[in-house]
Amino acid sequence: MLCFQEGPQRKKRKSEAVQEEKADLLAMGTAAGSVLIYSTAKGALHCTLDGGHSGGVNCVQWHPEDGLLYSGSDDTNIVEWDLQTGKARSKWKADRAAVTSLSVSPDGKLLLSAGQIIKMWDLDTKEVYRKFTGHSSAVTTLRFATTRPPDSNGLYFLSGAAHERLLSVWQVRQDGKDKNSVVSFTLTDEPQHIDLVQSNNKEEAVRLAVVCKDGQLHLFEHFLNGPCKKPLSPSCSVQMSDTKDSPVPIPLLAAALTADKLSVQLAYGNHLQPVMERVEINTAERHICLTRDVQTSLSLTMETSISKVKTPIVNNKSKVLVPGLPGHQAPVKGTSEKRKKDTDTKEISIVERLGEIDLSKVPSEKGAPKGTASLQTDNFAVLLVQGLESNDASILNKVFQTRKEMVIKKTVARLPLPAVLPLVEELTKRLQGHPFTAVLMVRWLKAVLMHHTSYLASLPDLVTQLGVLYHMIESRVKMFHKLTKLHGKLYLLMTQVATSDSSNTVTEVDHTAKLVYEEESSDEDEASGDEALRDDEDSDNWEEDEVLEEKMEEEQVDKEEGDPDIRRDSKENGEEDMEHGNESEEE
Amino acid sequence: MASFKPTKVQVYPKLGEKVTQDTLYWKNYKAPLHIKEFGAITNIDFSPVAPHNFAVTAFTRIHIYGPFSQEPVKSFTRFKDTAYCGRFRSDGQLLVAGCEDSVVRLFDVSGKVALRMFKGHTKAVHVADFISDRYQILTGSDDYTCRLWDLPNATELNTYQEHTDYIRCGVASKLNRDLFITGSYDHTLKLFDARVDKSVMTMDHGQPVESLLLYPSEGLLVSAGGRNVKVWDLLKGGQPLVSLKNHHKTVTSLCLSSSGQRLLSASLDRHVKVYNTTNYKVVHNFDYAASILSLALAPDDESIVVGMTNSILSVKHRKSLEDSKEISGQQRRRPLYRVFVKGKNHVPKQDDYLVSKPVKQHLAKYDKQLKKFNVTKALDTALETWTRHRKPEITVAVMKELDRRGTLKNALAGRDEQALARLLNFLIGNVVDPRFAPVLVTAAEMILDIYRSVIGQSPVVDRQLLRLQELLEKEIDYQQDLLEVMGMLDTMFASSFPRMEVPCPGISRANGLAGGDGITSRPQIQAT
Repeated sequence: MLCFQEGPQRKKRKSEAVQEEKADLLAMGTAAGSVLIYSTAKGALHCTLDGGHSGGVNCVQWHPEDGLLYSGSDDTNIVEWDLQTGKARSKWKADRAAVTSLSVSPDGKLLLSAGQIIKMWDLDTKEVYRKFTGHSSAVTTLRFATTRPPDSNGLYFLSGAAHERLLSVWQVRQDGKDKNSVVSFTLTDEPQHIDLVQSNNKEEAVRLAVVCKDGQLHLFEHFLNGPCKKPLSPSCSVQMSDTKDSPVPIPLLAAALTADKLSVQLAYGNHLQPVMERVEINTAERHICLTRDVQTSLSLTMETSISKVKTPIVNNKSKVLVPGLPGHQAPVKGTSEKRKKDTDTKEISIVERLGEIDLSKVPSEKGAPKGTASLQTDNFAVLLVQGLESNDASILNKVFQTRKEMVIKKTVARLPLPAVLPLVEELTKRLQGHPFTAVLMVRWLKAVLMHHTSYLASLPDLVTQLGVLYHMIESRVKMFHKLTKLHGKLYLLMTQVATSDSSNTVTEVDHTAKLVYEEESSDEDEASGDEALRDDEDSDNWEEDEVLEEKMEEEQVDKEEGDPDIRRDSKENGEEDMEHGNESEEE
Repeated sequence: MASFKPTKVQVYPKLGEKVTQDTLYWKNYKAPLHIKEFGAITNIDFSPVAPHNFAVTAFTRIHIYGPFSQEPVKSFTRFKDTAYCGRFRSDGQLLVAGCEDSVVRLFDVSGKVALRMFKGHTKAVHVADFISDRYQILTGSDDYTCRLWDLPNATELNTYQEHTDYIRCGVASKLNRDLFITGSYDHTLKLFDARVDKSVMTMDHGQPVESLLLYPSEGLLVSAGGRNVKVWDLLKGGQPLVSLKNHHKTVTSLCLSSSGQRLLSASLDRHVKVYNTTNYKVVHNFDYAASILSLALAPDDESIVVGMTNSILSVKHRKSLEDSKEISGQQRRRPLYRVFVKGKNHVPKQDDYLVSKPVKQHLAKYDKQLKKFNVTKALDTALETWTRHRKPEITVAVMKELDRRGTLKNALAGRDEQALARLLNFLIGNVVDPRFAPVLVTAAEMILDIYRSVIGQSPVVDRQLLRLQELLEKEIDYQQDLLEVMGMLDTMFASSFPRMEVPCPGISRANGLAGGDGITSRPQIQAT
């Protein structure tokens, strides 16, 4: 049980953790059919409720007053648990399909349950009070929206189903003619978590916060008073992104409304390491984007390590039923699970047949390596082969950008022989580029030549295969001689400049005098500093003089200030000279 | 006067991908339109009649989109469970769809409720198609059977129980009302003939078959399964013609371009590949954001529609002719071609006196300056931004010409900081290009000689010189590596030609030590 329903179950726990109502007790349903009661005060398991269900528990709900707990399960039953005794008080069949969601009314007299059909139960008699149909897939969310009695036409509840992008609101009518939902709220994706503030009377609006699967939060505010034809769009949508140059959205995980209308409690980031924050939201704006800096590196690596370990197990148990889809997650979970159930009960041969199907390759790829280093190179070899086969630039770029010598060597060593020549061709293409990137390619090429020497040498048409590469290299290295010389020249000049720069900083007095050669007055000034004050009309001169004077007094401090000025002067002079020379040449 | 020869600009082969007719054709689409559906999109089918609406099967719905609409013009939602394979009849009036709940439904395109329900399969029906006589349908199911149904009275005509695994694809012949082909996860394709009640041909694909496609001539059949796409010759009794393996994940969908000249395959590896159907080489490649489950081309290739696992439908429309017309409209302002050739084909009579007009020589800007011996200005014009970036070969050719005249030094000298920076920028950009290196290295040396005295005076120039130095350092390291590789290659070539054992090692050593000289001699010896 643990192996394949770990993921969904963990999620379930989280969602149930929110609906804890007995100050310190937390109820969790497990895939094995038991319900765990966890005490947050003790920090340990309080008790286990066993023997009620034969299938996985999908949902648990506390009764608002008594020490009662309701659980709905895959075995289509609802069980009422008494916490005093720790035993099931009653159990009844609720639906033909699995019970996926439950909700107890605020007054504790009614219970909503849903598979695909939503049923309202009278908790005293355990009989169906009303039925509501309209969802085509499993209902994942049920919440009462008002606190009024059922026979006042004022009781509303809302529901959301898997793969549906809206929340439906249903009215419990006195006359029992409640066929369709009265209002619907539009969302951008399937609802993941909702929180609402119930309205106690007609004058009070229901406030609703919905976090969708795509990580957006939508806030609604609506007065529930009868049907409304048009679907309602959110009064405010909130998104979150990180602070990088190219912002990446951060998924919101859950949201809770607070007593004051302005702020919302948000949970965002990674499931393994969520960040909680209370945010003030200006609901006057329709769309809000918050930016947060979230360090996800740690949690991300944890996630990959988990998925790396888990995936092969999933395959061994043959729970993935969409053929050829091992790498990505199929979005239509509901259907695949349905088929799973069918096949599991009726046919055992499916295991063998799935073994035949393409999946057989996957466990051998992912299951074999254990150390991290070998895992990476192995992935790289597979990636490289894939990239070469489908000529996928993004994959190839990713692989070729490795700088680690070891990774390159191991990847090349693991490369199957038929992929060697395509790799050489691809490298030949990439060798023609800028030296900064081409240097990396040479490493790959060397590794290929080193590891597959005998294979390449055994090729009958080796010269034609590698001829292009050879000629390319030949034409490139033709200039090696001259380039090296040029480099030497440049190196010499630049080091000289560097040393002269450094010498500038050490000895300065006579040097400055040399560069300011046009202005004779400055020479004079140097000789007699006091006279400089007379030349006030020329501001440039004056400034420079001041600098010089200061230098006389405090040599070390002002060197840097003086130098750039002087340099600029001399440059201008030089340019004038050059332009002059230019003209004469053209004549 | 007439002796001035314009600078010869060398034509170099272009690097990078070759631009073919196909690339131009398949790139001529607008930016894709993304439509979010309710679940993974398993099938897309275009209506055979104008305006060529298309039916998109996703999750429990079938949406019908108009050719340019973003919203569905029609949707069928009366499915109890996931719908599969919504396909139009050849007159575009009826639509058939299978469903996870094993019932096949037939819809009128204008209606909402199913006209007929075909019950009989015991498991999900993934395949449904109309037989070419328009009054029968073919279905294939996960219960290993495929069945023929009569439309008017909704009865089952025949059941074929030959496959031993899920049937996931099938097509009916458009030319013959009795033939249809199914592909199954038992790795086989079977051609059935309704007249003999059993399969008449079986082909082994080798992997679970995901998609089938018949050529319009129906002589060839294409099947996709696993990572392979295979083409079968039906007229030769199901002989395999070609096997293509260009994807790295399962191929899920196939489709032919309107001309029948190109075959498209879509795969879970997020690519769509376009093959030429004469030599079956990949001629183009599209990239998408998620794994592709379904692919369809509108008639005349007007749009490419792709359905993905992340429930996004991507629609790319062909760029309309108006865009290209606008360009030609601008060109229209010039005099007609006719004006230029007027009287050119006039044949002189015998006693006509022919006066030949000297052809006027048009010179490029830099040539005009060169003609006037304005060397600096010539180089300046050659260094103009557009030329510098788009046609570096012109700049290099002008430099070469100046070098030949011996005036390159003059042209390079006497520049201010800005002009020098521009020149250095050009050098940094192109000096490592083996096509330009010989000229540019000389130019760089001259620049260093000329401006040696002013180095260290301008931070801008200094920074660029540092960059140039860095670049050269890298390039030299790189070339050293390349020389080593050449050495390796030499050894390998030598070992593959045992007779040449004696000369080769010597040459490889020469390569390693003396660079250029050794290399130039190398091909000659290799040729002997």
